[in-house]
Amino acid sequence: MAQQSRRGSKRQRAGFWFVLPAFLFYVAFFAYPFLSTVYLSMTEWNGVGSPTFTGLTNYIRLVQDGAMWSALGNNIIWVILGTAAPIFIGLIISVMLWTGTKGGGVLRTIYFLPMVLSPVVIGVIWNWIYNPLFGLLNTGLRNVGLGKWAIGWLGETETALYAVMLTAIWTYLGFCIVVLYAGLQKVDSELVDAARIDGASPWQRFKNVIVPQIRPVLTMVIVYTVIGGFNVFDVVWVMTGGGPNNSSEVIATYTYEVAFRNSEYGYGATLSVIMSVVALSAAYAAMRFRKAGEA
Amino acid sequence: MARTASSRRLFNSTGKYFILILMAVIALYPILQMWMTALRPSNEVLRSPFALPSELDWSNLTKAWTQGRFGTYLVNSVIITIPTVIGVVVLSCLAGYGISRFKFWGRGIMFLTILLGLTVPFQSVMIPLYYQLLNMGLLGTYWSVILPGIAFGLPFGVFLMQSFFEDLPHELAEAGRIDGSSELRIFWDIMLPLAKPAVSTLIVFQFMKTWNEFLMPLLYLQDEDMRPIPLGLMFFQGAYTRDIGLIAAGVAISTIPVIIVYLIFQRQFVKGLTAGAVK
Repeated sequence: MAQQSRRGSKRQRAGFWFVLPAFLFYVAFFAYPFLSTVYLSMTEWNGVGSPTFTGLTNYIRLVQDGAMWSALGNNIIWVILGTAAPIFIGLIISVMLWTGTKGGGVLRTIYFLPMVLSPVVIGVIWNWIYNPLFGLLNTGLRNVGLGKWAIGWLGETETALYAVMLTAIWTYLGFCIVVLYAGLQKVDSELVDAARIDGASPWQRFKNVIVPQIRPVLTMVIVYTVIGGFNVFDVVWVMTGGGPNNSSEVIATYTYEVAFRNSEYGYGATLSVIMSVVALSAAYAAMRFRKAGEA
Repeated sequence: MARTASSRRLFNSTGKYFILILMAVIALYPILQMWMTALRPSNEVLRSPFALPSELDWSNLTKAWTQGRFGTYLVNSVIITIPTVIGVVVLSCLAGYGISRFKFWGRGIMFLTILLGLTVPFQSVMIPLYYQLLNMGLLGTYWSVILPGIAFGLPFGVFLMQSFFEDLPHELAEAGRIDGSSELRIFWDIMLPLAKPAVSTLIVFQFMKTWNEFLMPLLYLQDEDMRPIPLGLMFFQGAYTRDIGLIAAGVAISTIPVIIVYLIFQRQFVKGLTAGAVK
């Protein structure tokens, strides 16, 4: 028995060598640079010479930085609307698919399609849709007699953030539908049936019988969209670059500007550390929320 | 069967199909519109942007291919994508297997460290990584996007492979152990062939991710001749802002390879994205 367990533990050690290559790679090109970012966040550095250690100065500056707060505010709007809207629509569509449709597979394939495109491609397509003069949106508005609503959606400070957000929702709505649909496959039809016989309305069946059964998947999608909302960069950067007049600025685009336009690498690093911390806490909070829901 | 169908009836059928098809049109139309625009003469586009092409005109596509250098960008995208995908798949399979099947010193901490990468955005490492690549003499070479690209694929890859291997029955490997095979041999001959579905999922997922990446090459590959497709399209759009037909041709060329791959492997791709959710 003792010998067997010793042989067992020797065997168990083999696992270390399976994991090591990936771990070293990950440390060299991900974890180590991340730790360097944490160090850089406590320095002042313009990219030339060596960084000067300044302790928590950057973090104090960050707390007092109005531009950072307004960018973070935009992230929070993004997280709330960018999570609520696609999940609400995604739930309705995926339940519709689940109730049985002809061509459901084809529909899901189509819904998901925007998700596989590069953010650059999506940016180009939607810049064109929003074009003030000949874009799809304004041409459509003029055709139905709403010409006075035809504005430069990406060029106005009031609408730029929401216009970009709509593009992002267009992109990942298909993801929400497909994942929620996958979750619905585990719903017990007998329970839904029983509720119907007991006289529950379709809405009651949806809310009280179906939704509780897909809660794990729902949480998963929420965690994904929340992390995505705090980290969003690509689509904003490609479409507005954070403008006009910083109205669509989010933390990630602001970080990029501070670091690469103003060459403030130290403060840029501080901002990116905060980004990770915020995304991680949000993910953690959402997981806790899930646990609380299950208990 | 009939009972199941009736229990699921929550919506009016006509209204349901109307909404489902409307959503499909919303998802598809902007992409189709771009392709149609690419096939029309540029002057016609401005006159009536949404009409169907009156005749097929390939000149925008050929112009984008030669002047826009999309041929070069396509080759660059392939050069970057293939080694990145191979690297992620090989390292993720090994690590996922190791974590799910063995108990050893450092297992928990290594796994947790890699998983934390799921929430860390590229922005949080881009600055030091630039200098690290510079010091390593890799900046401006294809390796400067391939190696970090592999590292960034690992959190999801390891997570996916680990959860897959964990669900395989343990008895299979025991048979190999009784035969006295080495652990690597057991992995290669017995376990890896069983993991084919998860591996193909990971291949497709990582392909899409690498193919569409643009910030990493923007920062680390400054040579115009080395740009991958999304980056090429970005500069192309900046240079030809007025010529919609030509830009649409650039979009068409950029989207076709990835859409073909998606349509062939869409089942695996969707499975990969739902893997974490539907456990």
